[in-house]
Amino acid sequence: MSDHEYGGNDDLSLPKATVQKIVSEILPPSTGVSFTKEARDLLIECCVEFITLVSSEANEISEKEAKKTIACDHITKALDTLGFGDYVPAVLEAAAQHKETQRVREKRGNKFEDSGMTMEQLFELQQKEFEEAKKKQSGEA
Amino acid sequence: MPRGKAAVPVAKEPEIMESPVRTKFPTARIKRIMQADEEVGKVAQQTPIAVGKALELFMVQLVHRSAEVAKDKNSKRITAPMLKQAIDSTNEWDFLRDIVAKVTEEKEGARGGRAKAESESDEDADAGEVKKKGRGGRKKKTAA
Repeated sequence: MSDHEYGGNDDLSLPKATVQKIVSEILPPSTGVSFTKEARDLLIECCVEFITLVSSEANEISEKEAKKTIACDHITKALDTLGFGDYVPAVLEAAAQHKETQRVREKRGNKFEDSGMTMEQLFELQQKEFEEAKKKQSGEA
Repeated sequence: MPRGKAAVPVAKEPEIMESPVRTKFPTARIKRIMQADEEVGKVAQQTPIAVGKALELFMVQLVHRSAEVAKDKNSKRITAPMLKQAIDSTNEWDFLRDIVAKVTEEKEGARGGRAKAESESDEDADAGEVKKKGRGGRKKKTAA
C-alpha cells in the first residue's frame, strides 16, 4: 500500500488540528472549558494507544480464526473483550453506513471502468488524439 | 459467512452510543498506526472506519471524565494531571496507566509545566520501544 511508504516520517500520531476540532465538538467553546497544550498532547497519545490496543487484540482474534485480514467483526469482538462492548452498536452502524456509501459510489459508475478499455489503452488513445489535434493545428497555422 | 453479533444474550435493544462529534479521524492514518505493529497484516477496507468510530466514542468518554475532574477542582482548564486522574479512576483504561505514569502531580507554576513538556518528548522516543502489556509481541516498525 502506498501509505506505507512514508520512510522515516514517524507520523504515528493523529493530526493535532483534527483532534482539537473534535475536542471542541465534545466541549463547545461556549462552556469555556479547554485543554492545556500538554493535556491535549497526552490525549493524542492515549488515542494512539487505544488504536494500538484494539488492533493488537483484533489481530489475535483474526489469527485464531485463521484469517489473514483484520475485519470489522474482529474489531467488535476485540472491543467486547477489552471492556468496550458499549461501543459496538455504534461501530456496527458506522461500518454499515460506510458500506452503503461505497455501494452507492460504485453504482454511480466510473467512466474509466465503463469505457471498456484499460488505463494503458485509454492513455494511448489520449496520446493519439493529442497528436491528431496537434497536426490539425499546425496544418491550419 | 454468518454475520452475527457476539453470543451475548441481550434482553433489550443494544443502544447505539450517541456522540456529538461530526469530524472524522483520517482513516489512512488510523490504518498506518494499526500497521505499525509488525504482527498486524492486512486490514479490510471497512476496518479503519470501525476503529475510527470506536476511537471517537473513547475520546468522548475520556474528554468528559477529564472535564468532570476539572469541574470538581473548579478549573476551566483541563490539565494533564486531571487526565491522569480520570484514567486512574477508570478500570477499562488501565492500558493507559503507563502513558500517564510520567505525569506528575499538579504543579502550581508554569515552570513545572514546561519541564514536563520537555521530558515528555524524550519519554515518547522510549515509549515507542518499550513493549507494554505483552499483547501479541507488538513491535514498532522502523523505517523500511
